Amino acid sequence: MRLARHLGQAVAALLFAATASADLVPIPAGFYRPLFRGETDAKEISVRAFALAATPVTNGEFLEFVRANPKWQRSHMKRLFADDGYLKHWAGDTELGERCDPSQPVTWVSWFAAKSYAGWKGGRLPTTAEWEMVASAGFTKADGAKEPEFVKAVARWYATPAPETLPAAGSGRANIFGVRDLHGLVWEWTSDFNSAIVTGDARGDTGLERQLFCGAGSLGAKDTANFPAFMRFGFRSSLKAAYTVHNLGFRIAKDE
Amino acid sequence: MKNDERMTKPEGRATSAHAASSLRLRHSFVIRLSSFVILLASALAADKANPSAAEPKPPCCRALPPGKPLTDKSLYQLDSTWTSDVGREVQLGVLRGRVQVVAMFFAQCEYACPIIVENMRAIESALPAALRDRVDFLLVSFDTERDTPAELRAYRKKAKLAPAHWTLLRGGADDVRELAALLGINYQRDARGQFAHSNVITVLNAEGEVAFQQAGLNKDSKETIAAVEKALAPEKTSLSP
Repeated sequence: MRLARHLGQAVAALLFAATASADLVPIPAGFYRPLFRGETDAKEISVRAFALAATPVTNGEFLEFVRANPKWQRSHMKRLFADDGYLKHWAGDTELGERCDPSQPVTWVSWFAAKSYAGWKGGRLPTTAEWEMVASAGFTKADGAKEPEFVKAVARWYATPAPETLPAAGSGRANIFGVRDLHGLVWEWTSDFNSAIVTGDARGDTGLERQLFCGAGSLGAKDTANFPAFMRFGFRSSLKAAYTVHNLGFRIAKDE
Repeated sequence: MKNDERMTKPEGRATSAHAASSLRLRHSFVIRLSSFVILLASALAADKANPSAAEPKPPCCRALPPGKPLTDKSLYQLDSTWTSDVGREVQLGVLRGRVQVVAMFFAQCEYACPIIVENMRAIESALPAALRDRVDFLLVSFDTERDTPAELRAYRKKAKLAPAHWTLLRGGADDVRELAALLGINYQRDARGQFAHSNVITVLNAEGEVAFQQAGLNKDSKETIAAVEKALAPEKTSLSP
């Protein structure tokens, strides 16, 4: 069953790849297996077909956005929507300066800023389920976990500190959908980054809390290949919507 | 028991909206009259920060119209539109001018939400009588599908939340996600349509800035009450930039 589905996804991906536009890549419907779930929850969440940008948004692209929307320029930024790190690596409101390259992924952006950019482009941020589903695809296989080379490449990035100078967006190897840089460049915002329930939940009836706290152990035993997904889960749950981080960017998605 | 409530829920939303607002009108006619005068004045002054100033105010709103722009950290900068349990469409900015004790919930919540609401009522009754009248309570639903205005109305009735001080709102999925993000509340819908969510009670000052947050259920509310009192006390505290 699973094999057939993955085969289906792979074939669909290949078919879609042929017609893909340069930027937004059609992603066929599929499934996302959440890392943590309540006892009564399904093992898989179905994800509808959608389109995802092949690469994260760059400094150059974001510059166009702030030029067109002055309220998102650094000095006009309301603290509610971004902390004071917002675009701090840029030379000014509408200039990148020498230390920033237009081709690098934009970072130091809050969730609000990312969301607003995506809306301006006629899109939206991908959901965590969408993002994770595409990120689980390997270079040559729909299920990256079955591709040792992919697993190794992903693990290598999560084990390496962020480089001083970020590489250009799009420099990573494309996965089977034709999407690049989901691993190996920057962390990325998702529309529902704040859906991760780690602490503060006191509903006793789902056993969710217990799973969260015991989950890491069982996960390690069963599914080491998914350790990066666990790190992303932890990272997302540590974020607040106004946070800006030196290696946190985003990409846009669109409904089909 | 919940079904009974739903069976008897009033369907004529205009009628009940009218009933509720006339109730409110009697309750605070003087305040409304005086705020209306100021409202007119500020509308004439073409206050850009509050384009809705000239529109009729919903029942939940007894806020004095703002004479100055919102602060950088004011939640009232959000321009999303919400629907109250009496069916009125409002922006959060209508709550400006009064201290709000805020939580997110959903009507069919089996465990945590009734406790959160109970905790909020405890805060309400623990406030000195002189202050109690100057504090409002706001519940915003996670459940964009099931918590219709009628459902919220039924919840208000069941939980006996006084219309004079309690506002119940529902909104679109993106707007709920955004408000939750601003309040630092994480949530997730599970397969049964229930929501796992962080339990947080937030105190917003009159300007809509987060003044204090209490996390967890059945926590000692002393600090929260102190935060409410502080937000009420000197004008300058809540209006500082």
